[in-house]
Amino acid sequence: MSKFTKEMVDDYADKLLIGLTDEENKMVLDEFDIIDKNLDLVTQIPNISEVEPMTHCLDDFEYELRDDVVVESVPISDLLRNSDETDGDEVQVPKVVG
Amino acid sequence: MKYMNKSIEELHEMLIKGEVTSDELVRESLELSHEVQKKCNAFVTILDDAKGCEVTDNLLSGIPYGVKDNYSTKDILSTGSSNTLKDYVPFFNATAVEHLNTAGAIKVNKTAMDEFGMGGTGTTGHTGIQKNPWDTTRLCAGSSSGSAAAVASGVYPYALGSDTGDSIRKPAAYCGIVGYKPTYGMISRYGLFAFASSLDHCGVLARSVRDAAIVVDTMKGLDINDMTSWDSSNVHLRSACTGEVKGKKLCYIKEIVDKERYKNASQELLDHLDNFYKTVENARELGMTVDEVSVDEAILKAQPSVYVVISCAEATSNMSNLTGISFGPRGEGDNYIDMMKDHRTKGFSPLIKRRFVIGSYVLQKENQERYFKNAQRVRRLLVDRWKEMFKDYDAIILPVGSGPAKHIDGSKDILDENTAALEEHLQVGNFGGFPSITIPNGFVSGLPVGVNITGNCYDDENVLNIAYALESTMEYKGQIAKEVK
Repeated sequence: MSKFTKEMVDDYADKLLIGLTDEENKMVLDEFDIIDKNLDLVTQIPNISEVEPMTHCLDDFEYELRDDVVVESVPISDLLRNSDETDGDEVQVPKVVG
Repeated sequence: MKYMNKSIEELHEMLIKGEVTSDELVRESLELSHEVQKKCNAFVTILDDAKGCEVTDNLLSGIPYGVKDNYSTKDILSTGSSNTLKDYVPFFNATAVEHLNTAGAIKVNKTAMDEFGMGGTGTTGHTGIQKNPWDTTRLCAGSSSGSAAAVASGVYPYALGSDTGDSIRKPAAYCGIVGYKPTYGMISRYGLFAFASSLDHCGVLARSVRDAAIVVDTMKGLDINDMTSWDSSNVHLRSACTGEVKGKKLCYIKEIVDKERYKNASQELLDHLDNFYKTVENARELGMTVDEVSVDEAILKAQPSVYVVISCAEATSNMSNLTGISFGPRGEGDNYIDMMKDHRTKGFSPLIKRRFVIGSYVLQKENQERYFKNAQRVRRLLVDRWKEMFKDYDAIILPVGSGPAKHIDGSKDILDENTAALEEHLQVGNFGGFPSITIPNGFVSGLPVGVNITGNCYDDENVLNIAYALESTMEYKGQIAKEVK
């Protein structure tokens, strides 16, 4: 029997501010089982816990910090162009504090 | 079609000689865009007001091209094929697009894709399914589905793509064209909508290796806005395509291509593998050696899930900015939480929601070690094994997918355990940032299939030259899709 439940899936979706239909929930459950089974194989790889996790594809890359130079900012009117509700130079949101 | 079936160099020569004008090329490309839109639904936006320009010595000047809709294009709708950005108009150009602008290249459309690149079918974008130009009952694969359909249909010689798992290289195979993603960071990702930052690559879909080389020569370069970009000014991809490959060493992985391992295999799969071995013989006839090598099955079996875990985790984080508050359509609700939840619930397709939930699960504190960290550990084991092969070999040659384009009906984009390693091995190219190119290598069931060449980081010239030489042994260079059904 699967260790994953519909309620668990809904909870993880809710943490991301996403609502799921029953069909979407089932799709996640089905795939969870496959992933879980495959990663079971990983735990059986000898000394896997001693392998350094790889977080980036060029992890021998040397980053060069750029000079701290002030550059021209994007005009606020351009930034606000894609917001549905604005007020002057600001994005408008519902009242947050009482 | 008078011009758009030609290569970049052929078009450039015609422009220089005055046999055609840039305006004429743009007009033809726009007419073809509308035809292909009706047939394949390849575009989010067609730029009907695009105009030709002055032709310079730059090979790309005056020639039309397409831009995948997850590249930011200044003052041009850029949706990432998502309802969450259905009206989003960027105020800047992605660096790669800016480089092409400077070269005088002319964008004529924005191509449709899987939502934010998070799919492999071309079925999840907000404007509908992209259909394969060879057979409209079949998928293009994804996520660069619109770019692949358009280039294969001869709308223009090339279009931009992005590749996080195989999103350039698999659609290229399904549509019978070339798809190339260079070494990670060779092309700046600035202005590309992030999916999984440690795996995302920019690249190109074209109809020949040489055209792909010309385009990436222009797109690449160190960028102050992308700290993972690097100086590739000593890399000259087009000049590297000499066809001199005698003595080069290739290998393929037994555990991926051995027919004995696929019990109850479909005829298409068997034909695809037979076709792959023919291409291996072509390589040998060119004077290259091709050896069979083995890779530990435990890490190969885990590989597709490793991709799902890492990419979903990174995507969950990258896309937390999609709230509908500061950009995107506002959701409904009495407070900002409800507004964001409404925006995200209505805006994302079921597939992307599935990926987010997986990402959320594997990032929970109690699950991180088992899923996320272990996935990153296997990523290293796979990359180390690939790099070990690159000590002995110039490149790895493998078939793309398990056959030709799949039927649209029944596409679920869910892991299939039986053929997973064959379907998903290109993802290792993203784990390691390796240069990787797919070229067409024949037909199965009357539909195109592809072969992939992947080499070590920074060895793009070698990889492209090998692909260029192999391409010359086959008759699929420059092919335009002919509808077979």
